Amino acid sequence: MSLLAGQILNGIATGMLYALMGLGLSLITGILNIPNFAHGALFAVGAYLLATAVNVLGNFWIGLVVAPLGVALLGLAIEYAGIRRLYAAGHDYQLLFTFGLSLILAEGIILVWGPVGISHLPPEILRGGVDLGFTFYPKYRLFVMVAAGLLVFLTWLFLEKTRYGAIMRAGIENKEMVSLLGIDIHLLFTVAFALGAWLAGIAGALTAPIRGLSPGMGVDMLGIAFVVVALGGLGNLLGAIAAGLLIGVAQAIVAAYWTEASTVVIYAVMAGVLLVRPQGLFGIR
Amino acid sequence: MSQFKRRDVLKIGALAATASSFPAILRAQSKEIVILGLWDQTGAFADVGPLNDRGMKMALEERDMKILGRPIKYVTRDGGTQAGTSTRRTEEAVDAEGAKFVVGPWSSGVALAVSEVAKRKKVVHLFSGGTEDISGSRCHRYSFQWAASPYTAAKTVVDNFMKANPKAKRWHLLVADYAFGWSVEKYIKEVGKTHGIEFVGADRHPLGEREFSNYVQKAAANKPDVVVMINFGGDAVAGAREIFNFGLTPKLPLIMSWSSGVEELVQLAPEIRENLWVGTNFYYTVDTPAAKNFVKNYQAKFKLPPGYAPSAAYSMTRMLLAGFDKAKSDDVQAVVKALEGLEMNDIVGPMRVDGATHQTLRPYFLLRCKAKGAMKHELDFADVVATGDAPLPKEYAACKDIGSF
Repeated sequence: MSLLAGQILNGIATGMLYALMGLGLSLITGILNIPNFAHGALFAVGAYLLATAVNVLGNFWIGLVVAPLGVALLGLAIEYAGIRRLYAAGHDYQLLFTFGLSLILAEGIILVWGPVGISHLPPEILRGGVDLGFTFYPKYRLFVMVAAGLLVFLTWLFLEKTRYGAIMRAGIENKEMVSLLGIDIHLLFTVAFALGAWLAGIAGALTAPIRGLSPGMGVDMLGIAFVVVALGGLGNLLGAIAAGLLIGVAQAIVAAYWTEASTVVIYAVMAGVLLVRPQGLFGIR
Repeated sequence: MSQFKRRDVLKIGALAATASSFPAILRAQSKEIVILGLWDQTGAFADVGPLNDRGMKMALEERDMKILGRPIKYVTRDGGTQAGTSTRRTEEAVDAEGAKFVVGPWSSGVALAVSEVAKRKKVVHLFSGGTEDISGSRCHRYSFQWAASPYTAAKTVVDNFMKANPKAKRWHLLVADYAFGWSVEKYIKEVGKTHGIEFVGADRHPLGEREFSNYVQKAAANKPDVVVMINFGGDAVAGAREIFNFGLTPKLPLIMSWSSGVEELVQLAPEIRENLWVGTNFYYTVDTPAAKNFVKNYQAKFKLPPGYAPSAAYSMTRMLLAGFDKAKSDDVQAVVKALEGLEMNDIVGPMRVDGATHQTLRPYFLLRCKAKGAMKHELDFADVVATGDAPLPKEYAACKDIGSF
């Protein structure tokens, strides 16, 4: 029983990271209507920027703020200089652009940080574990669970309770209408992409001490992020959060009893849900 | 000026058609000896392929890209860490480039498929990896195994670890779920029996796994004296990191039973390496003249010392070239016969290719990582604490008859 409880805890921590990734991707896909294949690479850049920021500034907490902001700026530049020119083009052009961008970013990581993986330890205060009674659990994972949960909540709050959040949600529903109301739709697209990139960056930064850094680290996460978006419902933010948690917990529980299937379960859950609800858990289209 | 007649056009057309359909293999036969390096640039071992390529190139360049007085044409293909891609591209390189000698790939499961191509196409195939089947149940005349037998590895690791930690009798295994993992797991359990080791858990994980928290949680619940990983590359690094994050190491020893050595150790912070024991086919401080020379040249070029991946490619290529020298021919069958029974004193020390199984009989190494304070420099990861070369006992040998050409 304690094993199962521990695994569920693992699942929630991992699921929160999946939710952060899925939320960012869902925002970009929902508002900009483009498949962002560079989302995994942005996640990797976030992790590498954190390591560099911590090395240069000597403080994990400042690094955790600075690194995702760096990724958001990168996202801003990508949207402004690249994607903006492709809105009129078809999906295949956008797909090729973001896919090419993911390769460029991965190669860029190799050029800047080298091809060999790097370990990045959690800050001193979060090293080691705590006895929760039913299991011994790493402090850093508990921190990730709380921090990612808080970020997901704040993002949801921003989107649900602020005026600009409402505009963004309206943008997902009907871009033309938002534009007709006199709202700068280009600015909306740029902000949405930068916010999505920021979420990927912070997921990467939080993951760095758990999974370490390697140039290909974004590839695994990209696949999972797309599963989260498909499972939650395209453009559905609450769905992305629920789907992230569902996949994380499913993966953890299956790993407790049938370790060989721990990767396959991600896709099995997606296939199962989509067979019953093709529009995803919370999707309406 | 004379004009083309219909007959001339037909003649030229026929000539062009003949030339273009001429098998490329005949064109390549002129002088060059074509050797294929099948190294992954994509897929799970994308990070290893470039290192293999470095090692192989160095071995060829040592001989000025020549053998038997003829130029060597080194061609490479990306196997994508996939059996389908690797076999297709091997066949293409054999047919189109005229490659009769294949070195690689890196994954055991994929190499077994490539070995079947080598058998069918009758080309020499050298491989280094953890599956016992290349020189075991699926042995044949064309494939050779450079890495130590999984039995040699297991015996070296288990015997010497138990000598240093006689009370560590409860072992939990984390095993990569493919040919290599299964082979090493089998022999670790066999050798473990002789020490009275109790295997309290053995979980298999998919190749390319990065989320190890679930496995580590299970391992911790079994309250082991030691955790043993039978996995490789990114999997081993991710596993070791998570085992540390969960506080199992350095309190408990962790064994990486079949490691690439430097390439994995450099990815782990010194804190994570504490109480880490590492079994490997090569480590850069191995005290042999060939290793010293190789390590010096490699570091001069690439800064980091070589781990198992470039070293295996380097030594396999040297073994193949030694086969050419001994055969004094590039005829496939002559080279195979020359490789059978070949003896070399190479980077790992004395090596001999068993003619009956095509398994290289050679030393395997057990390292103990150093605590941060004991490291003399940042690359001073570990000491070689034991070397073992116990060959596979006859009762386990699955290669009963290597067969004919």
